[in-house]
Amino acid sequence: MTEAPTITPGMDARRAPARIEIDEDATPVVRLLGRTLRDAIRIGHAPEVLDHGGGTVAVRSHNTPQAATVTLHGGAVTVSGGLFAPADATLVVDLEARFSLAQDPDGDAELARGLHRALRPPLPAWHEAAESFWKATRGIRGIPDVLVVVAHGPDGPQEARFGAGPVAYRMAGTPDALAGVFTGADYLLTSLDSGLRVQGTLSQVSVMTAASWKVRFDV
Amino acid sequence: MSEHTRPDSAGPAPSAPAKAVRLEATGHDGSFLGKTVTPAKFASGRESGFAFADILFAIDLGDEFVFGDAFPDWRGNLYDISMIPDMDTLVRWKPGLDAVIGDYWLRDGRPVPICPRNMVRRLAEHLRELGYSATVAVEIETTLFEESVQQARARGYRDLTPLGGATGATYHLARSKDWVDYLEAVTDRLDELGIAWEAWTDEAAAGQTELNLAPADPVSLSDSWARTKQVMREVAFEQDHTVTFMAKPTSGFGQGAHINLSLHRDGANQFYAPDGPSEVMLQAVGGLMATMAGNTLLALPQITSYRRLVDLSGPPTTISWGVNNKTAAVRAIAGHPKYSRLEYRLPGSDVNPYYALAGVLAGVVAGIERRMQAPPQVDDMAWCLPDDSGIERIPDSITKAIAALDGDAVLREYLGDEFVDFWVASRRWEWMEFHTKGGDPYAELSAWESRRYFEFP
Repeated sequence: MTEAPTITPGMDARRAPARIEIDEDATPVVRLLGRTLRDAIRIGHAPEVLDHGGGTVAVRSHNTPQAATVTLHGGAVTVSGGLFAPADATLVVDLEARFSLAQDPDGDAELARGLHRALRPPLPAWHEAAESFWKATRGIRGIPDVLVVVAHGPDGPQEARFGAGPVAYRMAGTPDALAGVFTGADYLLTSLDSGLRVQGTLSQVSVMTAASWKVRFDV
Repeated sequence: MSEHTRPDSAGPAPSAPAKAVRLEATGHDGSFLGKTVTPAKFASGRESGFAFADILFAIDLGDEFVFGDAFPDWRGNLYDISMIPDMDTLVRWKPGLDAVIGDYWLRDGRPVPICPRNMVRRLAEHLRELGYSATVAVEIETTLFEESVQQARARGYRDLTPLGGATGATYHLARSKDWVDYLEAVTDRLDELGIAWEAWTDEAAAGQTELNLAPADPVSLSDSWARTKQVMREVAFEQDHTVTFMAKPTSGFGQGAHINLSLHRDGANQFYAPDGPSEVMLQAVGGLMATMAGNTLLALPQITSYRRLVDLSGPPTTISWGVNNKTAAVRAIAGHPKYSRLEYRLPGSDVNPYYALAGVLAGVVAGIERRMQAPPQVDDMAWCLPDDSGIERIPDSITKAIAALDGDAVLREYLGDEFVDFWVASRRWEWMEFHTKGGDPYAELSAWESRRYFEFP
């Protein structure tokens, strides 16, 4: 898992944002790209790329056929599934590792570097991410009443609780791992393979998977 | 425990002791899951049932846990549910082996709400409460290949040789002996098992065949349908060939599973009227049209199911009906006191027979109970209709179908929230697995689909 510095929304967040459009009936990779770029715009990340960039970038998964085309033009960003036309640049990335590069970009290096930077917005602090996650997913049918989050940081364990009621679900991990899952930068089931720990029933893992889809893919 | 009478399809009572008994029931993907037990074990559990982990409703075709929904209270940390055999279905499958189909029940005696067979029974009973009995038949399409299943596996189920030649030739009788031998062996086995079949023929694609099962009550027909698929697989294994029920096993023609349904009361066909569709038929059509978008997720359950939906290629592409109109999704055969029926043409051959029938029955029951009005029938060709025709397209992707079922209040009422939530989540999981584990939506037919769907469901 890659480490990323944490920031909070600043003045850039109030700039006129670029517009992100994705396909109707979009594939998961298109949804992931679109959601990530929306998050980047929301916190004012990489405005020189998203607000003013121009060109077409092919984004390909390094180990599956997943692919999409990102077109930037005058503050409009379009994400479409598949690669159907020659692109100005190509990024081959690991979709399970926050778009880390799997090989050097092809084509327009500046454009490629710019989009890659836009796809890796810094994550918020874990407790802010958890709060947003809880707000976005608490309406899912069957979600536990209470989410207990324990962050194991350099200053020792810190705990936060969200919601009220008899049914609790506990998640523990590093601040980065928690922020990754709660923002959708990481997929819950993948994170369980890399150190995130949960305490609850199998049923709760199931419904929390739906919650992970919600924040990662907006489905 | 089953309340229906012994089905016509049940074979003769075993005359010699069996060495083993095979317990059969479909999971959610449609092929039989179960296990083979000793006669002593069977005797000990035939009344009380056999414990199965609820995992059988939670494992996908790639052996992964299916996540994405909030399990109801009967599902938890791999709780057990009971499979209770329906003794009316006991047959001698082959010398020394008996087979029996069962249903899944909770420990408190309630049926498992997502048990496919229980769902069909519940909806057939609902129909009976309205005064009707349903008679159902099915056309099973499948494709045969020369290679053994071991050879097919080694090739990733690609580039196989269609059995009977490389041409698709509907109705041609000049088929080679290997193809005829296979079908005759299948029908011999069906006769031995007491499964009533009516016809078989070659179909549109190379290696493709259609086998028609005789009309029966919904539960019996579902049982026979599931068993016929098992027989077709076993005969293929015996003859070193391969058979698949994928909705589109090659880039050629797809394959479906048309369901024919009529309703009776006091021995009279209630779909019959002298001059066209009866009022009951029109209400049933109204229900089937109103629920078709939502029912698509049951009729087209897998990623590949949607590759069939191509205009002018056979399957319906619009939510439409018409008298004797095979381009529409529902074909009404009207005006005959015996043969008046509805042909529901949407399901793919990869469907779970029980879920498909449950969905159709839900539409029919809703239509009659709510006196739904049939929309205007389509007299023209129902493919390639312009956007302003007023005729909706059938959801042409699994995500569109997921949304349609999730938002279908009528199907939620008749199939149950628990089933709808489960099925929506499991199909979303399938969509996610396809895209993130190697499927290629832009390929004509991706290798991931062949590996996942060729042998099952």
